[in-house]
Amino acid sequence: MKSAVKRVISMIPVLLGVMLLIFIMLRIVPGDPVTVLLGEHYSQETIDRLTAAMKLDRPLLEQFISYVLGVLKGDLGISYVSKRPVTMMILQALPYTVKLALMAAAFAWVIGLFAGIIAAVKENKIPDRIFMAFSLAGVSVPVFMSALLLQYIFAFRLKLFPITSDGSILSMLLPAIALGWNSAGSIARLTRSSLIEVMQADYIDTARAKGLKRRSVIFGHALKNSLLPVITMMAIQLSSMLSGAVITESVFGIPGIGRLATTSISNRDMPLLQGTILFTTVVIILGNLIADLLYSVLDPRIRSQM
Amino acid sequence: MKIKAICGALFTAALTVMVSASAVMADDDKVLKVGWNKDIQTMDVHKTTDNYMVPLNIFDRLLEVQLNDDGSTELVNSIAKDYSISDDGLVYSFTLRDDVKFSDGTPLTAEDVEATFTRMFTLPESVQTDFTTCIKGAQDILDGKTDTLEGLHVTDDYHFEITLEEPFAGFLSVLATPTCCIMSKANLEDAGSDFGVDPAKTIGSGPYMVTDWVQNSSLEMVRNPYYWGEPASAAKVSVKVYPEASSMDMAFQNGDIDILDCDFLDTAIVDATYETPAYQDRIVRINRLGVYYYFLNEALEPMNDLKVRQAVQMAIDREGILNSIFGGNGVIVDGIYPAGAIGFTEDNQGWLKYDPEGAKALLKEAGYENGFDLEISSNSNASQNIKNILQVIQQNLQDVGINAHIENYDESSWIALRKSGEMPSFVGPWTLDYNDPSNVIDTFYGSAEATKGRSLNYPDTEVMARVNAARAIVDENERLAEYAALEKKIVEEDAAWVPLFSLQHRFVLSDNIEKFIPHWAGYGDFNCANVTMK
Repeated sequence: MKSAVKRVISMIPVLLGVMLLIFIMLRIVPGDPVTVLLGEHYSQETIDRLTAAMKLDRPLLEQFISYVLGVLKGDLGISYVSKRPVTMMILQALPYTVKLALMAAAFAWVIGLFAGIIAAVKENKIPDRIFMAFSLAGVSVPVFMSALLLQYIFAFRLKLFPITSDGSILSMLLPAIALGWNSAGSIARLTRSSLIEVMQADYIDTARAKGLKRRSVIFGHALKNSLLPVITMMAIQLSSMLSGAVITESVFGIPGIGRLATTSISNRDMPLLQGTILFTTVVIILGNLIADLLYSVLDPRIRSQM
Repeated sequence: MKIKAICGALFTAALTVMVSASAVMADDDKVLKVGWNKDIQTMDVHKTTDNYMVPLNIFDRLLEVQLNDDGSTELVNSIAKDYSISDDGLVYSFTLRDDVKFSDGTPLTAEDVEATFTRMFTLPESVQTDFTTCIKGAQDILDGKTDTLEGLHVTDDYHFEITLEEPFAGFLSVLATPTCCIMSKANLEDAGSDFGVDPAKTIGSGPYMVTDWVQNSSLEMVRNPYYWGEPASAAKVSVKVYPEASSMDMAFQNGDIDILDCDFLDTAIVDATYETPAYQDRIVRINRLGVYYYFLNEALEPMNDLKVRQAVQMAIDREGILNSIFGGNGVIVDGIYPAGAIGFTEDNQGWLKYDPEGAKALLKEAGYENGFDLEISSNSNASQNIKNILQVIQQNLQDVGINAHIENYDESSWIALRKSGEMPSFVGPWTLDYNDPSNVIDTFYGSAEATKGRSLNYPDTEVMARVNAARAIVDENERLAEYAALEKKIVEEDAAWVPLFSLQHRFVLSDNIEKFIPHWAGYGDFNCANVTMK
């Protein structure tokens, strides 16, 4: 428990560092947000007035400190472009991303575990070869490819699903599969290799010698131990899905965190971009933390080390 | 077995949802489905120079520009029933219609007009001040001296006067732009910073009102029950955001979009899919009231030589650019004003022909038969079409012996260089903000500062004085004749503008649409009341 608290406290300097880094980077990147906002229309007067209204004329250090102080109060600033609070915009986008991530993760876990276990049990036999070929395709086909392909076949040609998502479960299925595809592939491969490794351990032989059936050996003894690395991977995958899926969200028109990030980049909307990056960072750090904690819960050896 | 069962169940579920969805659709009256490639940022027109779709639909303007079937445009009254202009061209007296109501049922009065124009200048983040600072006292508000607009005087509920700083005949056209959407005073006070963000707190008197807006996803509008004009044909407008061009294309073909804006798709795809017998008669084409130009900096040698500039004008194969890059969807323009706009005249067309040999001869006369180095400055954020134009221009110039090369800049450096007056040459489009020749000519030739700010450095101060004087000519025919004369002087005689072309904007309509009149300026944004459903 102490170690968990320690881990949480150690997040603070990481987050501060990330904030500073984003802040500096976004100010080095060329492209003045006021100019981008005004487009072809600008008089120096208008530029000066807006720069002052957006507080961009203040010294950088002052801008950074007031940003950090705001973040501590849960205020991520006001979007330059839409003039809405960034916190509110992120909270609006979040349910879509969460729904997509959970569905994608569920797909990836069910399919990945199922394929991995079958492949391990039927090691080097035909089912193994088939599943591993599929999982290789899963790992290597980029998301934009699988997303467009799924959309073309199932939504455009077969008309089984809407082309873009409106947030309903049905319309989220294709994006979830597209996003979960890669993860399913890596989970299948990891489950397979881990299970095969465990199956060669001495205690499995013991269990078999006790006369237990093969099925109960696999599910009763081997699987539990082989899933340790898989669970870590799942937690990390989920946290990266929760931080927004830029490509999947674009292809299927899902208004999630990924879309916020891309629009903020093209608009040079710094507060919004800072906000989404910061949010992503927190989610990923938390994901890793949870993975570590889960690991220690599941494996007494690690618990004693911590 | 299990997988089969799950698939079966999913399939049934999918069918059920789709069937029930279509049942709901059938009950509803006609829905117009629109696709955007990105979401709007705000519904508040004072805070954007870009997102005009919602303002065009939920607000009214005092006047409107009407697009005629022959492609010409004219100003017509909207919620202003009548107006008169004083002899000195300074005071505009308006009478409002007395039957205009906002979508909350409250009447629109002169007080609302006053509140709208005052807010345009008092709102710190207002970006709509460029064309309206001609109103008397507007500059004082911007300078922070006062917060009341001296030039707007309300006589009674339905009468008010606007006084200008100096005569400006294009002012009526300015009033017809989205910039001058009339808002509700009570609503503005009530909504505060939620105005433009929360649909329930963003109220106008236009044909539609927004009922729902999900950021980055969708927006819905229904008819304003209190609208004073003819009710729009579509009861509901449903907008969906399609960030990927291919998704939008598929959605249109699947019937999820009724008006497809071809700007969002690749030209090659539009030509292959829609410029076909199946769709040919469903394509709507509109002139964009804008021009593409190529600018040479007259402060730099040898562009200060008239013959050199004339040679450049002749060296560029505009027909070739239009055909190869834009599939021929446009018209060659020989002047400053866009084809179809007020001020455009056939008299100034047809004099400039592609003539590389003539260009070489002129260069020889000017003493540059061995050519010279010329930088074409490119904005790395510009559209691919503009970058392609630069490539062809580079080639055309090299063909007559000018050693042209393209230099890339990131956007803010490009803008800074142009503003400094030191950019050697560049290509740009100019789309009319308001339908008046002054919008183009003032921007580029209105003052020494203006021509320097666009890196033109046009030296003729006499012409600049005439450009300024033209704003104040009260007689319309006289004014347009002067603008035509100025165009001839600047483009034909001084070769201070290398004209390229005006483009067309294409839309493809679904089977549900009877008629669609796009925005007069060729914007992708349009008033949905101009759509007739089948």
